[in-house]
Amino acid sequence: MTTLTDRSAAAAPAPVGGRRARDGRALASRVLGYAVLIFFGLVFIYPFVIQIGNSLKTEPDAAANPLSPIPDPLVLAGFERIFAGTNFPLWLGNSLLVTVLVTLGRVFFDSLAGYALARLRFHGRRWLFAAVVAVMAVPPVVLLIPKFLVLNQLGIYNSYTGLVVPLLADAAGIFIMKQFFESVPVSVEEAARIDGAGVFRTFWSVVLPMAKPALITLTILSFQGSWNEFPHSLVSVQDPDLFTLPRGLADLVSGSLGKGTQYPLKLGAALLATIPVAVIFVIFQRYFVRDASEGAEKG
Amino acid sequence: MAIDAVAAPATATARPPRRGGRGVRGNENAAGWLFVAPVIVILGLFMLLPILMAFWVSLTDWNGQGSPFTSEVPVVGAENYTRLFTEDGLDRRDFMTSIRNNIYYVALVVPAQTVLALGLALVVNNRLLKGKSFFRSAFYFPSVTSSVAISVVFLFLFANSGAVNGLLRLFGIDGPQWFADPRGVLHLVLGAVGVDSPPAALAEGGPFGLSWWDWLSGPSVAMMSIIALVVWTTSGTFMLMFLAALQQVPVVLDEASTIDGASRWQRFRHVTLPLIKPTTFLVLTLGLIGSWQVFDQVYVMSQGDPAKTTLTPAYLSYRTAFRDFDYGSGAAISFVLFLIIIVLTLVQRRIMADRDADGRRSWRRAVRRGGRP
Amino acid sequence: MAPRSLTRAALAGLTAAALLGSAACGSGFDDSSGDATQSSGPASLQILIGSSGDAETKAVQDAAAKWASSSGNQATVTPAQDLTQQLGQALAGGTPPDVFYVDAARFADYASVGALEPYGDKISNTGDFYESLRTTFTYDSKLYCAPKDFSTLALQINTDLWTKAGLTDADVPTTWDQLTATSRTIKAKGMVPLALGDTRDRIGAFLVQNGGWLLSEDGKQPAADTAENVAALTYVKSLVTEGLARFPKQLDAGWSGEAFGKGAAVMTIEGNWIKGALKNDFPNVKYKVVELPAGPKGKGTLSFTQCWGIAAKSKYKDQAIKFVEAMTSGEQQMAFATAFGVMPSRQSVRDQYTSAFPADKPFIDGAAYAQGPVNAPKMDSVLQDLEASLQGLAGGDPKTILANFDKNAKAALGG
Repeated sequence: MTTLTDRSAAAAPAPVGGRRARDGRALASRVLGYAVLIFFGLVFIYPFVIQIGNSLKTEPDAAANPLSPIPDPLVLAGFERIFAGTNFPLWLGNSLLVTVLVTLGRVFFDSLAGYALARLRFHGRRWLFAAVVAVMAVPPVVLLIPKFLVLNQLGIYNSYTGLVVPLLADAAGIFIMKQFFESVPVSVEEAARIDGAGVFRTFWSVVLPMAKPALITLTILSFQGSWNEFPHSLVSVQDPDLFTLPRGLADLVSGSLGKGTQYPLKLGAALLATIPVAVIFVIFQRYFVRDASEGAEKG
Repeated sequence: MAIDAVAAPATATARPPRRGGRGVRGNENAAGWLFVAPVIVILGLFMLLPILMAFWVSLTDWNGQGSPFTSEVPVVGAENYTRLFTEDGLDRRDFMTSIRNNIYYVALVVPAQTVLALGLALVVNNRLLKGKSFFRSAFYFPSVTSSVAISVVFLFLFANSGAVNGLLRLFGIDGPQWFADPRGVLHLVLGAVGVDSPPAALAEGGPFGLSWWDWLSGPSVAMMSIIALVVWTTSGTFMLMFLAALQQVPVVLDEASTIDGASRWQRFRHVTLPLIKPTTFLVLTLGLIGSWQVFDQVYVMSQGDPAKTTLTPAYLSYRTAFRDFDYGSGAAISFVLFLIIIVLTLVQRRIMADRDADGRRSWRRAVRRGGRP
Repeated sequence: MAPRSLTRAALAGLTAAALLGSAACGSGFDDSSGDATQSSGPASLQILIGSSGDAETKAVQDAAAKWASSSGNQATVTPAQDLTQQLGQALAGGTPPDVFYVDAARFADYASVGALEPYGDKISNTGDFYESLRTTFTYDSKLYCAPKDFSTLALQINTDLWTKAGLTDADVPTTWDQLTATSRTIKAKGMVPLALGDTRDRIGAFLVQNGGWLLSEDGKQPAADTAENVAALTYVKSLVTEGLARFPKQLDAGWSGEAFGKGAAVMTIEGNWIKGALKNDFPNVKYKVVELPAGPKGKGTLSFTQCWGIAAKSKYKDQAIKFVEAMTSGEQQMAFATAFGVMPSRQSVRDQYTSAFPADKPFIDGAAYAQGPVNAPKMDSVLQDLEASLQGLAGGDPKTILANFDKNAKAALGG
């Protein structure tokens, strides 16, 4: 999928006959279209507005006027408690560490494997690719208990190693990179090879730089995936010092006795956990979009 | 790098730029395996090996003490599986309840998210409207956020004094106590027409230890809020898929049928819909596969409560293993769930392969016939 | 993709996994069941507690810090968000905390799988603990762990709202009929009369008040499906359906104490821990504590207790025992009692406690007629199922709920 731009440019000029009737219909459909857009726009955006508004409210205010986006009075107590009363800074640090390592790992390992599967002739390549496709079909939730078992068996349960290493490669990323490398003209590499570059050198200095768009897509997906990752952190660690943001947030919410509802605090913490992804989303939107629509084509 | 050293002499012999020489092949063989080695280790260690280990555990009564791979662990064979289906007891009832809940969840989520996604895609694809890209992003944004963070927001929205009930109050409706309400929606509907208690025929019997009345409860009110959340978060992704498909619909076709005097609905029904059939099918099956995996939302929002009406197989397997220390039974539940999902996936891939060919053929036919496929 | 290549992929996967598996086995999982190598010298104790709130967390942390500095060890107290789950994963992972709270209802599960160190005989003066508490934590005729404290349920009344509803001290309910009547008066004034936790640990008190309980007296047979219990549960159901009692979730609260603190209900039924929580989170609420209203068969309440469990896998068992010794001394128990309102498990400080906290008389009086928790192994999922049914009590049938419990309990108890 290369374009998601409006198709208006490509539209053929309307035929002359019946223009007035069609204008009327067009206007009506335009009004209706905007109405639908705005309605659903509200449905999809307003929850975030409410979230921001209520995170700045006092608790009674949030309970009394949940719909209002405007805090009255505006207080930062929720956020103060996030930083003073919870382990939020620790979770944030862990999340950053995990996300950076996992993203680097995935980008590197997935593109290595993707390149090999796309270009290198080695025995068992087809098998391996079939295995990658098969692994993509394994639903993560059925791996909860299995992962816990293997982390225990390897002695890395409840450690940063256990938190990071299992996420360092993912089948979907390998698939994306393989598809991309297949679209790169062979001639480029062959020129490099003739010049005497080895396989890795060709990959590293010739092919990889050309793969920038795919690498950006993969980086973003890895970032988003590992930043939001919840089930894995649930079964790979139990020491609160190793909690990532989603895990900490989940424990904050399902909280124990006496923690109370404290919606401003919870909404604020959820908001802070959303912001990094939101920023990336706004900047790199078209890469997100590309991925989802590519899914449609590949099936 | 070592690979460079290996490869260099071979390529230096100025062979013709066709690959296939034995030296290059040989080197590529080694390089290929080296390139994929890290991935094989990671995926093998943390995807395939765990599955085998869990399968072993599902055949035992391991209670979480010591290693499950010693001779001391009692092996019970298929008992953990048969208990889920044939033995009348709490395990089977819990499992069947979770299956029931998930079936209702699937039955609502999949159609709802598909219709909503298609609707949004059609509106966003309307070439007369401006500012579409903004709305497209807005619809898609929930899909990329953390499921945990979004669940927190929806917990607030659906609190008894939360935003949804606040909104309902504006219309003079007294909203339900969402997360405290275990009543099934179908039961409520039946109650509204005067059927308050189970008719004698439905109160007893029923397959797998649940009465017919229990099977026919419908999703609980609490489950409805989780359904709303999931539809809201997933529609954006599927909208993009539909959008991509809609943009493949040749403009010529649209125009042609407009000249034919076809109404908007007819055009949608007879031109657009058949052309995006493969995508529709993809969205349906992806939805089907995805909605058997609901876990995060249940963990954060309801933990299976109230009255087990938001219990899903995924959450039940987690709870059985990690809260009740019945790892064998928990693993068995995940394997049954695995089987359900794999079957759905295979069916999807099978049919997609056929449809793909079909879709392209009908597309070409449609073009040739000028818009009447 | 074609099914054939899937099969081949699966084959390839299996081969790879088998190869990796043979390399991986043997590491991890400390197989030596129980006897971990002991380390002497200064210990670094990990203590995991299931805290009732900030008040308790702080009190235990302070006490641990005091012990650590005077004994030259380190002690880290971590409040668990979900003690059962966290402990379950830690035990299975072979890295349990050294010391942790063990709830009476979970005790038998842990003891039966050998996760607990039976250190009862190494604690001084165990005869000083209330006998019922010692029995609770005895498995295979060994006292496994020292009772931490105990508490009972009583009725809390928000005095401001009480007056607002036009009620006086004379209206304090002492029977079910009075409870119903008073609640109707409160409801007529547009307030919620009673916040009631939707668990067996609250509703169960009504069973006791009607002369029933979930298990037989020896705790080995299910006994829920009796006329007394059905009547009691039917009464609770009537409170709920009539809107006289509300579950915490219906009041947007995590537990009844929070609903009560926010003034969302005039009365609630909670244990001693509500004192600390209210003092901490809702310091301005004025309330008093009275004994639970008696049922047709007399007074009844529930008692709760936890013990200080020591992991069989702990590397610092000696130090851990010394830590527990310090935590269960009479003096320390009084300090805990002051901080978060639980009652000492040692009889020797009972009088000291009653004179220090005269307002807690209803809780202590309850000890005389309290029913202890269910503490048989494998019962947790059965009890969870009961909880689930109780959440649906408003639309459920009391007799079915109790009969289901009996059926499940029978299977679990191997009856």
